[in-house]
Parts: sequence; C-alpha cells; structure tokens
Amino acid sequence: MTKVITAIALFVCSLLSAQGQFEQGMGKAFGLWKEGKNTEASDLFERIAGAEKASWLPNYYVALVNTTTAFGTQDKDKMNLLLTKAQNALDIEMIKDQNNAELYVMQAMINTAWIVFDPMTNGMKLSGKTMEMYAKAEAIAPQNPRVVFGKAEFQIGGAKWTGIDTKPLCAEIEKSIGLFATFKPETPFSPKWGLDRATEALKNCK
Amino acid sequence: MKFIYTLTIFLFSIALFSQTTLSGKVVDEKGNPISGANIFIEGTYDGASSDEKGDFSFTTTTTGNQTLVVSFLVYETLKTVVDVSNFKNKTIKLRDNINALDTVVITAGNLEAGDKARVSVLKPLDIVTTAGSAGNIIAALQTLPGTQNVGEDGRLFVRGGEANETQTFVDGIRVAQPYGASAQNLPTRGRFSPFLFSGISFSTGGYSAEYGEALSSVLLLNTQDEPDQNKTEISLMTVGLGLGNTQKWKKSSLSVNTAYINLAPYQALIKQDVDWNSPYQSLSGETVYRYNFNNGILKLYAAFDSSKFDINQENINSPQKIRVNLNNNNFYFNSSYKGGFGNNWQIISGLSYGYAKNKIGVDLNSVDNEENAAHLKLKLKKSFSDRVKLSFGADYFVTKFNEDFKENLGTTNTNGYNSNIGAVYTEADIFFSKKFAAKAGLRASYNDLLNETAISPRVSLAYKMAKNSQLSMAYGDFSQTPSVDYIKYSKFHQFESEKASHYILNYQYNKNGKTFRAEAYYKDYSNLVKYDTPAIQYNSVFNNNGAGYAKGLDLFWRDGKSIKNLEYWVSYSYIDTERDYKNFSAQVTPNFVADHSLSIVTKYWINDWKSQIGFTNLYSSGRPYNNPNETKFMNGKTKSYNSLSFNWAYLLTTQKILYFSVSNILGSQNVFGYDYAKNPDATGVYNRAAITPTADRFFFLGFFWTISNDKKENQLRNL
Repeated sequence: MTKVITAIALFVCSLLSAQGQFEQGMGKAFGLWKEGKNTEASDLFERIAGAEKASWLPNYYVALVNTTTAFGTQDKDKMNLLLTKAQNALDIEMIKDQNNAELYVMQAMINTAWIVFDPMTNGMKLSGKTMEMYAKAEAIAPQNPRVVFGKAEFQIGGAKWTGIDTKPLCAEIEKSIGLFATFKPETPFSPKWGLDRATEALKNCK
Repeated sequence: MKFIYTLTIFLFSIALFSQTTLSGKVVDEKGNPISGANIFIEGTYDGASSDEKGDFSFTTTTTGNQTLVVSFLVYETLKTVVDVSNFKNKTIKLRDNINALDTVVITAGNLEAGDKARVSVLKPLDIVTTAGSAGNIIAALQTLPGTQNVGEDGRLFVRGGEANETQTFVDGIRVAQPYGASAQNLPTRGRFSPFLFSGISFSTGGYSAEYGEALSSVLLLNTQDEPDQNKTEISLMTVGLGLGNTQKWKKSSLSVNTAYINLAPYQALIKQDVDWNSPYQSLSGETVYRYNFNNGILKLYAAFDSSKFDINQENINSPQKIRVNLNNNNFYFNSSYKGGFGNNWQIISGLSYGYAKNKIGVDLNSVDNEENAAHLKLKLKKSFSDRVKLSFGADYFVTKFNEDFKENLGTTNTNGYNSNIGAVYTEADIFFSKKFAAKAGLRASYNDLLNETAISPRVSLAYKMAKNSQLSMAYGDFSQTPSVDYIKYSKFHQFESEKASHYILNYQYNKNGKTFRAEAYYKDYSNLVKYDTPAIQYNSVFNNNGAGYAKGLDLFWRDGKSIKNLEYWVSYSYIDTERDYKNFSAQVTPNFVADHSLSIVTKYWINDWKSQIGFTNLYSSGRPYNNPNETKFMNGKTKSYNSLSFNWAYLLTTQKILYFSVSNILGSQNVFGYDYAKNPDATGVYNRAAITPTADRFFFLGFFWTISNDKKENQLRNL
C-alpha cells in the first residue's frame, strides 16, 4: 500500500512538475538573474522563449536582462552585443503583438541605453523615436506606471541640455509611484519592476 | 495484479524523471574557448551556458535524436541533430558570424555618411553643420579627400576628372540633372536639400558594377526609410523662406519641403563684382512618400525647381559687359521599390524621369535647351548564405536633348540627340572569412547612339589585418558617353565613349570614434574627345584620340573623442594628373586641378552658451591656366586659394535655432584663373581678366523653428 501511495505521489509530482515547467523555468531564470548571473539568466530565458512560443514574457526578459546589463557597460563591443541581443529578442515579440505597452517601454529603454552610451551620435537620431515609443505605449496603457515613469525620466534626461522645465516631469514621476502601488501584474511573471527606480528618481527631483 | 499495476505506474514515473547528461566544449575557429554560448535542445528548457573555459554540461529528459542548438551572437548559430544518450565531452566549433560588426568591409574608393554605414566618415548632420557648406550637400562633400575645390563652378570634381564624370543616384536611380543651372564662372549648387536624406555614399573610384555611365565617381543619396515623427519646420533666412512638413501614418509617411530663395537682400548688402539686373531667385519643392509593405518599402520622390537671374558680366573680349539672362525649370521624379521575397531574394526596382529646360539669353542671342531623361532599373539579389551573395540586374537609360541657338536677327540652329543605353550586370559578394572579403562584377552595356558595346569588369578585395585596421583594393574599367557639349553634334560626327581604368589601394584604421584613412590611386584615361577649334562647334573636327592619367594620395583623419565636445576632420589630397583632350596642344594638367588640397573642419559644442560653433578652412595650391602670351601651353599658375568660414548655431529654446554663417572671414582675394582675350591688342599682348568669386564673402542669418509633439526635435541636424 505504501508503495502504491509513494508511486501515485511520485506520479502526481511528475505531472505537476510537467505542468509547472514554465513557472519552474522562469523561477530559475529569475534566481540566476538575482545572483548576478546575467548571461546564464538570459540564456535560460532564451531557451524558454524557444520552447514557449505563445508567451511574450521570456523574450521580454531576454531584452530586459541584456538592456539593464548594457546600462552598466563601458565597452563598446560588449554594449553592442548586449543591445543587439535585446533588440533581436524584442523584435520577435513586437512582430507578434503591436498592442503591448510593455514592449514599447522596452524599445524605449534600448534606445535610451544607446543614447546614454553616445549622446552626440545617438541623441539626435533616437530621441524622437524614443518619445514615439512612449507615446504609443501611453495610448495603449495610460495608467501603466512604467509608461508614466519611463516617459518622465527620459524627458528629464534630455532636459539637462535642452533646459525644459522638469517640475511637471517630477510630478509625473510622483504620479507613477502612486500607480505602482495599485498596479496588478496579469501573471506572476508579468513585468512589475520600476518602483525602486522611480523612488530614486524622485529623490533627485528635490 | 495490484503489484504489476503499481510497478507500471512507478516505472512510468521513473521514466519521466530519467535524465541524460550532455557535455562538451565550445570553441571558435582557432580553437579558443567561447564563454557565454547558449547550448540547448531545441524546443525544451534543457540547456546551459558555457563557462570561461568554454565547457558546458546539462541534463535532459528527452531521449533519442534531438536538435542541439549552440548560439552566441557574434558566431553563426549551429544546429545539429545528436543522439542525446551519446553526447559527452564533444567539442563544438562555431564559425564567425559574417554579419557581426567587426567583419571586414570593402572600403576602397568609398566614403560613407549615414546611420547604416559601418565606417562613416561623415555623420548625417555633418552635411549641413559644416561651416561654409550652407546646406549644400556638394559643398560638404568638398571637404573630403579626392575632391577638387573649383570655386567658380561649384560642382564635384573628383580625382582629376571633370564634373560630368560624377553621376548622382537617389535611392539607386540616376538623377540626370543633379545641379542647378548657372552661367559661366558663377558657382552652382546641388539640387537636393539635405533634409530628406539619411545616408550618403560617395565613391571616388572603383565602384560596383551596379553603376555605369560614370568615369570618375558616383554619389549615392538615400532618402530616409522612416521619418521619426510628425513635424513642421519653418525657416526664415536672409536669403529666403523654407517650409517643411512631415506626416506619419501607420504604414506610410509623407514629407514635403519647399523653399523660396531670393538673393536680393544679400546682394544689396555685400558688394558684388558683377551687376545683377535681377537677383538670383528660385522656388523649389521636394516631396517623399513612403509606404511600408510587410516585406518591402515603396518610395516616391519628386523634386521641382525653377530659378532665374539676370546679370551683366564683364568680358575681356568686349568693351561692354555681356548680359546673361537665365531661366531654368527642372522636374525630377523617382519611384523605387525594395523588398524581399521567396527564399532570401531581394528585389530593387525603380524608374526616374528628369526634365530640364533652360532659356539663356546672352546679349541678343538666345539658347533654349530641353532635356528629357529616364532611367529604368531592376536588380535582384540572392543570399545563398551569410557568406555568399549574388546580384544581377539591368539598366535602361533614355536621354533626349534638343537645343535651339538663335543668333540676333540670324538663323536658328537646332542640335540635339536621342540616346538609349541598355546595360546588364552581375556581381558576387563573397566572404572567405570574417577577415577576407571579395566582390567581383561585370557590366555590359550597349549604346545605340554611339553604336557600341562595352564590357567593364570590376573587382575589389578587403583584408582585415588587425582588430582596428584593414586594407582594401579595387580595380575597375569605366566608360561614359561624352558630355552633351559634344554629342549634341552627333549628327555631324560619330563619337565613341570615353574610358577610364581605376586602381585603388586603401588603408583604414578605426578606433573609438577616430578614423584614419589613406588611399593611393592610379587612373588611366583613354578615348577622350578632342576637337580642333577654339570653341566646340558643329563643324569642329572631332576625334576620340585623347588620353591622360591621374595618380595621387588622399588622406583623411577624423576624431570626435580626444577633446570633449570637439569634433574635427582633416583631409589632404595630393594629385598628379595630365590630360590631352579638348583642344589641348599637349598633355598637361587641366585648369581645374590643384596639386595639393587641404581642408580642416571643426565643430565645437559649448554647453553654457547652448551653441555649436564651427570653422572650416579650405586651402588649395595654385591652379594652372593658359597664357597665350607664352609659347608653352598651360604654363601659368594662379596663387593658392584659401577660405576660412565660420558658423554659429544657437539654441534659443529646444526647438528654435538662430544660425549665422560667414564664408571667407579673412577676405582672401582668391583667383580661380584667368580669361584671356581671343585676339591680341595693338601692342601684340593678349589682355586678361581674373576669374574671382562674385563676392568675397557670403553672409547668412537664419531662424529655424520646428513644431512637433515631443517638443524636442529641432533642425540643428539640418544646419
């Protein structure tokens, strides 16, 4: 009898694990990312993306992991590598769905990384496009905190040399913090990041 | 029974958990380990990243034959079918990805500007932020090596070639009349405003078999694929007004630019060396419409411009000034489609039509001419792999030219020609490795007016010696129908195409925003047209026995990193060229060539002033001229030329810019050459007049305002 129970338990477990493969895989990838193993995390997200073509999340995280890594990089070749990888992953999802605000925010972030890296060359070329991305995202999800925050932060970044009044932009960041508090991600793995960065940015406002 | 049932379930679940380990090492073509490669079984989560030593190991629950994928951005992704139970300690070799950024590029002869260029000598905004260029694409290109600064003409003279030896293409389709109309010794401008172009590729020799009917050079202008946003641009200038608007929709976009130029206020302010009866005026407009299909893009480009002026020019042969009254109307239309289809095929096709009409009154005589020119093009490209690409295509050029010359109270002489040129070409691009690439092509053309067939081979190679430096070389044969000045008399004489061969060796070094480029070339001219009269006439005796050569060295250095906020470039060209053509009595250096040319362009951004300040200095050594008082032909030499220009762009607010520029600040008294009298005076001396700029300086003040939703975009890039 014990054997039977054990066997059934094992069987159920294996079924469960099969069903929860996505959750498990995503969880593991987030774990690697948290440990600072960005390459491994990105690779695992990439593998999940290859197997789960119906979900946009794995590719979204490939783009996010590589873009955030790129922000801290000074080496041009490495930077290029990371952002190209991010762009490729994002392109796959952008073709499938042009109605996802998070993807537009992601595109804006990739552009911003290029601008930050070389403002003289990329500033003129990409700032218009980046604002267009935020405008598209805003049209789809005006209450998404990452849209509101990202747009305001990007404009503050440009204000340093254009001299735009940053006060209304700071108010937008404040608004986004309120939105973060009420934002409900659709699934456990849907994007929910940004509150800490917004709080940090607000500090710089004052 | 119960036991067997239990056992079955048990074994089944065990089977589900049974795992196989795969392991190995990932290396590059030289056997060096690759870390960070992603190794996995396709369609599963099972995989790993390779460590510093290139080693990897992972387990899988799959069994039997599976597709193993090994990917890393700068290498070609490898997919192989493996038996998972038998994959341990295997070495996987990845090939370099030819699409990676550090792949060798064929650069011989080619100067690129724009976003897509891997090695860009000019950035898009340089075309116009260059002091002295005043928004003229051609003037900005004249700061690059290999060009001659011919101030009284304004067109592009490349490596000892005449201006008509350069062909201009918009989106791959020829522009038959790229320059505005002008009179003798008055410089012309490029017809295209820089606003609508995102990429410029300027080849000073050895170009691809795709381009024909150009002896010296091709200038390729590409319109933007996609404008960034809806916007309106307003320009108020001391020389006129400009208005531009861009509208963007989901799949398409439309940009329109119009400008009205009137030099009256400027000519009133600055002392002019010629009398203007009516100032230079022009009304021009350009429009681009783009439509994005799923697999391609359709572009329609149209440009119209109408200009006129009326001047009295001094002439050494006449006691009175000669009145020149010019009216020019020009229309250009171009449509192109570029798209992909099937299995890695690309199609580029298009057609252009250009119409130019000039009415030129010279005192009481008048010249009316009209040109209709069309170009049809089809090009197909097949990528067999990242390493091998083959392209082939066909061109058809049609030109109809007609000119009526009416002498005062005299007869009307009509001359003209119809020419049809058909050409086919094919070209292969091969990457032997990431370091070594070759391009080989062949072009065959038939010209019905000249009744001749030409075969032109083109070859170029590039080899990357080190991470930041590479060598390229190019060879090509080129042919071109003689200039309209000759072939309008083709009913009196059967002409042949003029020919040139180019040999080019190029070295390029590129690191952290610094570019150094050195290029040596040899050009062999043959079959040039000669005639036996002082001026070209219908009854001149023509032949194609002219010849010549050009050899030289072009150097270019650009640095945007060493000094903060300073961007500068330096070009130096040395040329040794001689030609026996036209009505020359010997093989000599023609009068548009200066042996040494040096240009220095600087741009400095001052954050506190919200200003960009730029200086451009152009220097060229003296140019030859022929002095009929001397027995030796073309023995004179002018003094050297120097012009220092300055510009200042000030951001009033983000979207409002004030722009000021002045050319030749130092007021150098430049002389381009001399016009000698046709006949000697009473003492037997031929008198002369110096050819000089119409004014020593050009001042320009403009206000540029951009209206867009994001309130960020401005026209700084266009200045």
